[in-house]
Amino acid sequence: MILTFLYAFFASLAFAITFNIRKKRLLFSAFGGALGWLIYVAFQGIIVSDVLRYFISTIGISLYAEILARVSKSPTTIYLAVALIPLVPGGGVYYTMLHFLNGDLNLGVSTGLHTLAIAGALSMGIFVVSSTVSILRKIMLSIKKRRKTNEKNKPSQNIST
Amino acid sequence: MKGPEIIKVSLQVGSLLLANGAETCRVEESIERICKACGVKEVHVFAVLSTIIVTIVMEDDYPITQTSRIHKRNIELHKVECLNNLSRRICYETMSYEQIMAEVHRIDAFPSYHKVLIFFCYGLVASLFSLFFGGSLLNASVAFCAGLLVKLGLNAMSQLSVNSFFTAIIGGIIASITPLISSSFGLPIDKDTIIIGAIMTLVPGLAITNAIRDIIAGDFLSGITRGIEAILIGLGIAIGVAVSLSLFKFLGGV
Repeated sequence: MILTFLYAFFASLAFAITFNIRKKRLLFSAFGGALGWLIYVAFQGIIVSDVLRYFISTIGISLYAEILARVSKSPTTIYLAVALIPLVPGGGVYYTMLHFLNGDLNLGVSTGLHTLAIAGALSMGIFVVSSTVSILRKIMLSIKKRRKTNEKNKPSQNIST
Repeated sequence: MKGPEIIKVSLQVGSLLLANGAETCRVEESIERICKACGVKEVHVFAVLSTIIVTIVMEDDYPITQTSRIHKRNIELHKVECLNNLSRRICYETMSYEQIMAEVHRIDAFPSYHKVLIFFCYGLVASLFSLFFGGSLLNASVAFCAGLLVKLGLNAMSQLSVNSFFTAIIGGIIASITPLISSSFGLPIDKDTIIIGAIMTLVPGLAITNAIRDIIAGDFLSGITRGIEAILIGLGIAIGVAVSLSLFKFLGGV
């Protein structure tokens, strides 16, 4: 298991280099890829459905990417695009095609639907986290604005009284 | 800054962002931010994957419109980050036209990683993913060669400026024909893990991420375009692998 964790980490690292990410960001984005796999494996005994597990690990990596992006003041995409790679169902696409090629329609359709469900779980995971974060950001901004206008109004009231 | 200068600067930043793999909503936001910071009264931006249209209205002046067509896109996320920071910096401090242009050219000229390193990384991605999916070391070394050959094919395709769908087909063919040929030479390898590892180098990770982020930002047009691009690439990979597998079956190979 540690070995697969390392494989995911270094594969993400190599992918990050092909995306031309630099320096510290490289390591953090690669760790995101390994983190997604770690969450997936950690829930293996608890949740039976692997589509749900993919969903949860995508939520994990999107949270990781959003937090890191705020901390390091860089686009979320840098971390998210790399971290997503190990979770992408490349094997599912391949086996779907293989089953169809062997003339096994039933197996092909079921594997294909399963792959589609995983892809949907990945996008839903990102969707949930990113939209929540953007709503939170807007609320924070509006609170800040209100505070600023309050501060502006207060001294003027003092002068008038 | 005068109107034409503002529009030139903002469009330059926007088109570089789009060409290096930023989301469409980020491009629109950055252009709007730069124009507002330079004291423009009204900004209207429309960006899709290949075009940006900007119209600005200055105080007591004619509106100015300029468009920019992006032909070639490649993924250099470091530049996206630098440009993003630059567009924020323009808001906080007043910079002259020459200063901003110099900064933009500096970012644009930033060298990407060495070609050899990128090739090596493609090989590494393929071999590590074949290990990840349960392959042996021998499988991984064949996958390494497959990854290198895939990158070679991708480079050739981008030089001929072939569309991404056909590029994915060619990539799929190369990724699967390498293990098939080496196993027909009698190497005891498991072709499944090698092919999966090699096609992972072609996965459109950035397209998927950007598609979702564009849709979240309410930019359905770009989001769906990118999503379709990702789906077509996935389909292309499957077609490519199917072509070479059935060709080998036909020839009585594996």
